Amino acid sequence: MDTCILKGRPPHPFETIAVLVATSASMEAVLAEAGCLASVFNARLLLIHMGKKTLKLAAHLDEIHVRSGGRLQNTTTVWLEDRHVDSLLHICKENAVDLLILETIRREGILRYFLGSLVRDVCRTAKCSLLLLTEPKVVGTAFNKIIIRGVVNPKTPLTLSTALYFAQQVGVGEITMVTELDQPGLSMATAFTGSAASTDILKKQITNGEVRKIQDMVRHCRSEEVKVIEEIISGRQGYAIRQLTKNQNADLLVINSPDSRYGFIDRIFTHDMEYILEDLPSNVLIVHSRIS
Amino acid sequence: MAKLTPNDFAIFLLAISTILIFARFGAEFGKKIGLPIVTAEIAVGVILGPTLLGNLVPDLYNYLFPFTSNARVSIALDGLFSLAVILLLFVAGLELQLGQVLRQGKIALSTGFGSMVLPFASGFAVSWLAPQWFGIDTSNRFQFSMFLGTAMSISALPVIARILLDLKIFRTKIGMVVIASAILNDLIGWLLFSFILSMSGPGKGLAGIGHTIIYISAFSVFMLVIGRMFLNRILPWVQSNLSWPGGVLSFSLGFCLLCAALTESMHVHAILGAFIAGVAIGDSVHLEEKAREIMHQFVTNFFAPLFFVSIGLKVDFVKNFDLLIVAIVLIVAFFGKVIGAYLGARLGGMKARSALSVGFGLNARGAVEILLGSLAFDAGLITQPIFVALVIMALVTSISSGPLMLYFLRGEEERD
Repeated sequence: MDTCILKGRPPHPFETIAVLVATSASMEAVLAEAGCLASVFNARLLLIHMGKKTLKLAAHLDEIHVRSGGRLQNTTTVWLEDRHVDSLLHICKENAVDLLILETIRREGILRYFLGSLVRDVCRTAKCSLLLLTEPKVVGTAFNKIIIRGVVNPKTPLTLSTALYFAQQVGVGEITMVTELDQPGLSMATAFTGSAASTDILKKQITNGEVRKIQDMVRHCRSEEVKVIEEIISGRQGYAIRQLTKNQNADLLVINSPDSRYGFIDRIFTHDMEYILEDLPSNVLIVHSRIS
Repeated sequence: MAKLTPNDFAIFLLAISTILIFARFGAEFGKKIGLPIVTAEIAVGVILGPTLLGNLVPDLYNYLFPFTSNARVSIALDGLFSLAVILLLFVAGLELQLGQVLRQGKIALSTGFGSMVLPFASGFAVSWLAPQWFGIDTSNRFQFSMFLGTAMSISALPVIARILLDLKIFRTKIGMVVIASAILNDLIGWLLFSFILSMSGPGKGLAGIGHTIIYISAFSVFMLVIGRMFLNRILPWVQSNLSWPGGVLSFSLGFCLLCAALTESMHVHAILGAFIAGVAIGDSVHLEEKAREIMHQFVTNFFAPLFFVSIGLKVDFVKNFDLLIVAIVLIVAFFGKVIGAYLGARLGGMKARSALSVGFGLNARGAVEILLGSLAFDAGLITQPIFVALVIMALVTSISSGPLMLYFLRGEEERD
């Protein structure tokens, strides 16, 4: 496989969807979700099974295939013998995977989180889009309420267009684009000078500036079928949207992939995506825009 | 127990009220003519202090501010000014979001380090190679060189944030890089300065250097990792179960003073504890914006005037003005900071004019430099002429920063 084809390739449509599974109670649900999404997006499905291939496991997979009622018919299975992130990402790269589906728990134990679990580490390093499912269902998850994190970043228009594509395919007519406004230094800068009224005016001006930037972004990615609602919230970036997604009981949060490789230090001094990975508020779609 | 007599107490209260009232009028007047508030407050100190009032009406000056004639009032005022310094450092720490540096990535790190390394090296080199220019004792050369290096490398986040707001570039890429770099400058600068302070004073010096480094590192790492986790758990409880905003104010200020007491007892200056407590509390996502604002208002409107006016009360600015020292300090300050930040920003991939603009932005030293100079002066690290030169440098760099930034920003697309 020529891996160069991935560079500059748009993040959607999802032509190849991969799903990572391991033997667990929820394995059937994860496979059912992947089957559903592959059929919705009309994509090729690649099943990546963690662990060494054994007759028992292969038979178990066959049983699930039969029970799926044909949704997992055209599936290719790859056995991932080690649990290394690099091996998994290599398989994704070789197969030109557009979307990798992973099941994960909402909140990991503190030690596991800081040391870095396989799924969280994939989120920090993957070169393809990822869908994290927190509660996979055999009947498939309904993505009715979708929230997108709108940050001022060259990746965001592609993330928005991917979210619109996703919404359109799963039949959602409305998505919410949320921008977090965080102003480190503002309290201190305004405390020295000016009245409360002038500080309020200043804050309003900054907010309006952000609204304009977001509106410009949305204008360029407009869709006929899906309506985009814009919302501004104030608070720490990453944390504020996590709380909002939780409070609004959203089904999916769509975010940009990180700009750089997140490491241990980013978990100590948490920021942006790490706030979301620390405690997943819903299912999360991390869009890798493949900007070279 | 030694106590203030009723007369002492009356003088003490009179001194505070004089400072606060004149500082407010000075600040309002300064605002009208476009002068930074800190400059106006220092000018009030110069008027009320030995420079003007002490020379023109010495009896009135000695009655109002009896630093030499009444030890009890002098100690009480000194205690209040020290508390002001601690709380100013605390609110300076409140604004330092460490994640902001990581978010901006490589460019913030290269600019932040560039704007520290070259100023530090140039400040250190000048004072190490030519101590005679500063008239310092050669036995104290290492500490002084370390101090001047640190003084050159620090930035003033509040002043910088204000300049970016005025230029309407607070939320732009350049604005974010400048803020993130200033955060890095301040964090490393204050850690370094705590280390220098703990080496100064009688019976101290290079001997205990190992212990000092261990204490400072251990305290900072513990507070910024474990302390932050503890605060993230306790702050939501404080804000939802105790009175608002009294609960969070008492908790935060109490925590600040506790940390300050702890570092002071470790023979590291109290400012380290206050500063790191501010960083730990301010970095918490659970600290409500309103609470942060109230703390800023409380400190900047009561303690900041006390401190900045006290600068002018301590020193005769006319007698201690040394043109050579002022010129050297200004040249080294501009050269190190602007070129260092420029090189760092260029290394991070920024265009030449934008990088220069970042350099001039970070060059604003403002109140933070004055705070640093004042602490060094009190610790006996620097002489009065050097302190005066640092104050002048802080004012010149702060006033020139905005216009020079704007000049280099013109025509640059990164401004948007």
